[in-house]
Formats: sequence, structure tokens, C-alpha cells
Amino acid sequence: MADPLSLASRIAGSGLQAQETRLRIVSENIANAQSTGETPGSDAYRRKTIGFSWELDRATGASRVNIARLGVDPSEFDLQFDPGNPAANEKGMVKMPNVNVLIELADMREANRSYEANLQTIKQTRELVSMTLDLLRAQ
Amino acid sequence: MQPIQLFELTSKQAHWLTVRQSVIAGNIANANTPGYAARDVAAFQAVLQGTVSRMSATNPGHIREESLRGSVKSDSVQDGIEILPSGNSVALADELSKTGEIKRLYELNAGLVKSFHRMMLLTVRR
Repeated sequence: MADPLSLASRIAGSGLQAQETRLRIVSENIANAQSTGETPGSDAYRRKTIGFSWELDRATGASRVNIARLGVDPSEFDLQFDPGNPAANEKGMVKMPNVNVLIELADMREANRSYEANLQTIKQTRELVSMTLDLLRAQ
Repeated sequence: MQPIQLFELTSKQAHWLTVRQSVIAGNIANANTPGYAARDVAAFQAVLQGTVSRMSATNPGHIREESLRGSVKSDSVQDGIEILPSGNSVALADELSKTGEIKRLYELNAGLVKSFHRMMLLTVRR
């Protein structure tokens, strides 16, 4: 039987890891918001997505978070008129990445907030542990 | 002389509090997981009165069942407003205030143990 307090910090740690990965995906998407293909008519950068799932700890009923899948956004590319671009097709249209920077920024804010909440849980749990250890100190 | 049960009671409450902390930590970690329903442990009083049935271990070789198993349930949904379109029902502010409550109760618990311990030492020292 695991100690519930160390389980709590492990769970919060899994939350931190999940949000870190999410931030990485967001930064990849923002960095590639203008990445077009290299040959005429080729596809641009496809927005990456991330999905979470939970995993129940049978003994206590608490659940850690896992990354369920890393996928790509299948939505259509925007077409932009830019005949000088190496990726332009015969009509001069270029496929632009299906990245919406506003959505990415909103996602980033949410990841940030969840990261802070998890960090707070770790701090709180550490305080509980130190309160327990304080019982052992000389009175 | 009546056996002194305060230590047993406080250790039970400390266990309940730590399990609750890990369950709340799970809720916070899953604040963005689609389809996740927020969970909580049953009230301490209900757990103490043993309303949940469980296996008993009468031999050291038996599996020791977690005493709070079966007391962790997903919160009941009142009107569905708190459920996000993704099916997630974690309210981050609620969960954080719960951890604050747990900390407060744990502080009280540890303080009680400390002062009771001091009282016992006083009787022994003379």
C-alpha cells in the first residue's frame, strides 16, 4: 500500500508532465504557423494536437493523468495567393498551415493555469509531509 | 482504565486526509482530461462509522485492503452546469479550496497529536 501523500505528489507530477508536453506542442504549432511546403502544390505544416486520459489507482481511487494520443488536426488548409512562393501551385495559390494563433494562445493560457494548480498541489503536499515529520522532532 | 483512543482516532483522520489529498491531486491533474468526473472521499464521519463494507484480514498473509476503498466516489451532478463541453467536471477553484481545507485540518490534527504527546511525557517524567 503506497503512502497517499507520496502518491499525491506523484499524481501532481504526472499533471505537470502532461501540461509541459502540451506547452511543447503549442510552441511547435506557433513556431510553424507560417511553414509552407517546399514543392509546388505541397501540403503545409499540419497543426499538432494532444489528448489526455486518466488512469485510476485501484487502491485509493485517485487518478493520475496520461497523454492518450498525439495527433494532427485534419482540417483544411487556408489558401493564400502568393505566386512567388516555392509552394505555389499553377494558379499561384499556396497552402498555409491550419494553425490559428489565437487558439494556440488560449491553449497556452489554459496549460499555464493547470500547471500552476499542479505546482500548488505539490507545495501543499510537501507542507503536509513536513507537518508529519515535525511530530518526530524534540518537543 | 479506559484505553486511550485519541492516537488511533487522529491517525485514522490523518489517513483520511492524506487519501483525500491524493484524490484532489488527481482531480487537479485531470483538470483538462475530457470525460473525467471529479471525485471526492466520503465525509470522515461516514467513513468512521464504517458504512462501507470491506474484507477483513485475519492472517498476516491476507491482502490488506485499503481502508478507504469504496469511499471514493465521483461528485454527484446537480444541474449539469459545471460539466464542460468536453465532459470534464473539475472546477479548479473548488479543488484548490479543498486542498486548503485539508491543510487546515491536517495542521489541527498534527497539533493535537503533539500536545497529547506532551501530556503523556509529562506524566512519565515525574
